[in-house]
Amino acid sequence: MKYRADAVTMQVIRYAMEQVADEMGYTLVRTARSTVIKEIKDISCAVFDRAGNTIAQAHHAPMLLTGFELGMRALRRHYSDDELDDGDVIIFNDPYAGGQHVMDLVTFAPVKLKGKLVGFVGSIAHHTDMGGAAPGGTAGGLTEIYLEGLRMPFIKLYKRGQEDRELFGIIANNIRVPDKTLGDIRAQASANFVGVRRVKEIVTKYTPAVTHACLEKLLNVSEGRVRAGLVALPDGDYTGEDWVDDDGVTDDPIHLQVNIHKRGDSATIDFDGTAKQVRGNVNAPLATVYAAVYYALIAIVDPHVPPNSGCYRPFTIRAEEGTIVNPNMPGAVGARTNTVQKITEAVFRALAPAVPKRVMAGSHGNITNCGFSGYHPVTGKRFVYIDIQGGGAGARPTKDGRDGQDSHLARFKNTPVEAVELEYPVRIERYELIPDSGGAGKYRGALALRRDIRVLIDDVSWARYGDRQRFAPFGVFGGHNGAKGQFVLNPGTSQERVMKSKGLDKLKAGDVVSLRLPGAGGYGNPQDRDPEAVRRDVRDGKVSRVQALRDYGIEITDDESV
Amino acid sequence: MAPHMRLGIDVGGTFTDLVLIDDRSGKIHYTKTFTTPGNPAQGVLTGIEKILRIANAAPGDLEYIAHGTTIGTNALIERQGARVGLITTAGFRDVLEIARIERPDAGLYDINVDLPAPLVPRYLRLEADERMGADGSIVRPLDTASVVQAIEKFQTEHVQAIAICLLFGFRNPVHEHLIREMCQEILPDVPVTLAGEIAPEFREFERTSTTVINAYLTPITERYLDSLQAKLQASFGAIDLRIMQTSGGAMTAQAARSRAVNMVNSGPAGGALATALFGRLTGDTRIIGCDMGGTSFDIGLIVDAHPRVKSEGEFEGYPVKIPMIDVEGIGAGGGSIAWVDAGGGLNVGPRSAGSDPGPACYGQGGIYPTVTDANLALGRLNPDYFLGSEIQLHPDRAQAAIQEYVASPLKMSVAEAAAGILRVVNANMVRGISVNSTQKGYDTREFSLLAFGGAGPLHAVELAQELGMRRVIVPPFCSVFSAFGAVTADLRHDYVRTVALSQAEATAERLEPVFRDMETHARAQLAQENVSPEAVVVQWAADLRYEGQSYELTIPVANDEPRLTDPHIAETIQLFHDTHSRVYAYGDPGERVECVSLRLTAIGRAPALKLARQKKTARPAKPKSKRKVYFFERGFVMTAIYERSELRPGHKLTGPSLIEETTSTTVVPPRFICSVDVYGNLLIEPALRSKAARSSSKRAPKAKQAERK
Repeated sequence: MKYRADAVTMQVIRYAMEQVADEMGYTLVRTARSTVIKEIKDISCAVFDRAGNTIAQAHHAPMLLTGFELGMRALRRHYSDDELDDGDVIIFNDPYAGGQHVMDLVTFAPVKLKGKLVGFVGSIAHHTDMGGAAPGGTAGGLTEIYLEGLRMPFIKLYKRGQEDRELFGIIANNIRVPDKTLGDIRAQASANFVGVRRVKEIVTKYTPAVTHACLEKLLNVSEGRVRAGLVALPDGDYTGEDWVDDDGVTDDPIHLQVNIHKRGDSATIDFDGTAKQVRGNVNAPLATVYAAVYYALIAIVDPHVPPNSGCYRPFTIRAEEGTIVNPNMPGAVGARTNTVQKITEAVFRALAPAVPKRVMAGSHGNITNCGFSGYHPVTGKRFVYIDIQGGGAGARPTKDGRDGQDSHLARFKNTPVEAVELEYPVRIERYELIPDSGGAGKYRGALALRRDIRVLIDDVSWARYGDRQRFAPFGVFGGHNGAKGQFVLNPGTSQERVMKSKGLDKLKAGDVVSLRLPGAGGYGNPQDRDPEAVRRDVRDGKVSRVQALRDYGIEITDDESV
Repeated sequence: MAPHMRLGIDVGGTFTDLVLIDDRSGKIHYTKTFTTPGNPAQGVLTGIEKILRIANAAPGDLEYIAHGTTIGTNALIERQGARVGLITTAGFRDVLEIARIERPDAGLYDINVDLPAPLVPRYLRLEADERMGADGSIVRPLDTASVVQAIEKFQTEHVQAIAICLLFGFRNPVHEHLIREMCQEILPDVPVTLAGEIAPEFREFERTSTTVINAYLTPITERYLDSLQAKLQASFGAIDLRIMQTSGGAMTAQAARSRAVNMVNSGPAGGALATALFGRLTGDTRIIGCDMGGTSFDIGLIVDAHPRVKSEGEFEGYPVKIPMIDVEGIGAGGGSIAWVDAGGGLNVGPRSAGSDPGPACYGQGGIYPTVTDANLALGRLNPDYFLGSEIQLHPDRAQAAIQEYVASPLKMSVAEAAAGILRVVNANMVRGISVNSTQKGYDTREFSLLAFGGAGPLHAVELAQELGMRRVIVPPFCSVFSAFGAVTADLRHDYVRTVALSQAEATAERLEPVFRDMETHARAQLAQENVSPEAVVVQWAADLRYEGQSYELTIPVANDEPRLTDPHIAETIQLFHDTHSRVYAYGDPGERVECVSLRLTAIGRAPALKLARQKKTARPAKPKSKRKVYFFERGFVMTAIYERSELRPGHKLTGPSLIEETTSTTVVPPRFICSVDVYGNLLIEPALRSKAARSSSKRAPKAKQAERK
């Protein structure tokens, strides 16, 4: 007899599954060894049904959350149920098989009950180093996937709970900081084991038949909510565009175009008009492109829908092969975040005329990522220090942008200055907001961040990528653009030099790298801004008197600024 | 007569709760008065007079008053704290605003969700030109001119409190101390909080946040304490006034003046203390306290008979690094609103009808169905006996609201819809309990559930059933539980020093002087508070982690021998491996361990509590009435209703039955049995396990012993 799921049992099972995902995320962060996981939290964890649909996700980076989809589909094609055993942990990081970039290692574990597959759990984490041409992997300008590090197809790293020592050996031989990375991989496996244990308990308690019926209903409920949200959106064809500064190899700007064809309760998205694949590593593999589209549409249509695979069913995505949004082998993809954040921004831009109250202005629009590597003077060991920053978030229909906060796909944390200096031979000399970097508007775009990092030893490599250093974060509905970003070496000295946004350089002791991130665009006409808000910004030193007069027409005469 | 009574006071939003313990007779008196929001000291005074009258006692009988106050919590919620000036290391004035750059959970897809605004606006965040290195060396000496400039700005801006938080100030406090001296010289009346004294641990944002909250709450706390002490002095003469901390310990009013942040959220801490205490009385050493009120559901985990204390948490979205009892709250209460989403899913909360307008059944303008409405529609609440009949409930309004917003859209009957609301809110609470137990490595099946707060006993048995928990305890005076916790709290002071040593460096020779130095401070502090040396207990602990990790586990260090030895440290490290393995599913004794911080807790024991035991009765309990009540999988069943104040030890009730008291109702579902113990606790267990229940009562002598220690 087929069990008919009711709304209540469904919700009970949903909470239980979400708790599993949270618990996996907690385990991973607490036990990991590298700052990119334990401080920045560039991770995600999820629970899947037996068909591979995402059911529940730990609340971390949306880019990685929705990014499980394609990998899982590939995994289901790769293994039959019988080939999966209790205690197996499968890893992969191949961007051409549903992965992100090689730095993001995905692990899946099957959940089997009495020999029958009942579901999966998975975790994904950004690792400090995967080998390849650049320490930390975050260099711009790499031209082939082979330069980006060890690329792994689906591999059983644990078979029936037993670590495969040979495979661990291969990985260890190909990466720069094996102590940390292997510790991090084991932390991912722990998270999976914890998840498998808990899912088994739940399925045992409710029986597989009830669990599956409820999960199917849960997917349908989310799908129903998204479709209802889409119906409320006017039908039409919407186009939004944006630009990536360059690919790190040439200086040519790269055009991105998102076309949304919305009909009734569904939408088709294509990228016609988008640039061909480029030599540099800003090509975006499909998994991240899907994530960007899903993220932006859910944010607009129904931001509080239970996030699972059901949400994605109303959307059809078409990305032509050989373009920057669906590159062919051996295109390099390491700096893909510069591109996919623009896809998100382009979706918002496309739908702004249709739903002005649900969009935000342009944000920092990239993920500024630096990897510093050298040999630690005290321990003599190789270190790789990854620094990821947010930026400014766009102004909103009723509020200013969030100063110096991340937005959209990322949702990372920064690394505390004290955590950095306790571990690496660098000194951070400034971490602050940049005045006047927010685009003027009725609601002001957020201020950008500045972080100045002095290296204290010679021979440190600086791998990096950033963007929005040529194309500013856009304002909407009359709001002004925000400030562009810039990387400056040794500011205020005779050796001051503006550096390329994507590259790999060597630093010597005493060099200061000044990261100035992009700000964000304003929303609405600056002349409509509440004069009190302008005065408050001037008093806080967030807006100069010059900008107050020029952009807002407000002259501040008394001594209100700092 | 020598002082032989202790008084606990907890000021809540609506009521001020008081509990008076007479240590000579073992009697406990309790009462409530209305909170006086404008001047809470007045309500406290009225309450003291009232309870002294009830107990027929004189002020001279009081050994001390232990006071849990929400003055700080409320000031934080309502943003009514002081105008604070913050001094940071040059280049880092924005750390407080940048935070960790991460948007909140609810803002994952919602572009409109923000972190709470920083408590100090940018123009009052000023910089001192200086820099300490990670090892505590002075990288850049303090430029006093920059400090003078900042202080003068504070003077012009009429700043009411100053917070100082420098990078690596916890490694070398000399610059923070210098700046404080300068502040005190120029602005002698403005209180100063130093990060190095309030939270001397790494991670600058969290430390700055803690320091700022302390400064923000200092003036209002000082004013309140001054006013209360003056009033107490005038009415009752000199009285030892103790203030409850969120760590679950008390401190003297004098110590509280500079530790305002430690008083935030002390109410739930009192509840957790009382939970542990009752667990020790009933012989339940593993217990989960569930406090369900109108808007929140607080979960306190008790392992090994005492509440767990964690070293950081958050208040109102602001992180704080202070010891706090591990009580987690979720937004589920009687006022949580049920709604059906566009996809046809039934949800309860997070929106709450609060107390104004309140649930639909209050008839005060609420139109949406809440958990209280569902309980009423299912017969679980008595419309004529709610909050001691102070509020008349309207079942028709509850039914109409459920019909319109849940039953109709889901095509269900009102009863099915109301039952659905309870199942969903229960699932939410079950998840909250699991997150705070199983997620921390504990199996709920080994725990009992202790329910308090107005709505706790309504849901408790079904929650416990869902989690397979041993039994449910509903203590007497469960509506004044936090005040009860406060009055039984020990005096407590916590110290921490960041040492950052590798396993090889962490020798007894290196660690012992650090512990001894903290201990000297601690003992001097308690002596000053008139605690006799034999009532002092000192605990040592170390924050350990595997090399390369960022999060530590706090592991006890033995200090019961005259000297710390390396074998003691080896024991601590072994315990770390075991704990790591339990919590995170792996531990590896082959891996190197780091010692990040040393902690010391100094306790001045409060007198042991001797509760009076009630006499057993042989006569069966008599129900006061009967009505139809809904139970899952049974539907409406004719159910016996008992009055709690009529129940005596020896009474045994079989489910289905309801036990009503003025401020709460206990639901005993079918196939459960409720007994009453000698302390007046309701003990509810599955009928099948009643045999096991009888054997557990044999443990009473052991429980008494636990209480005496």
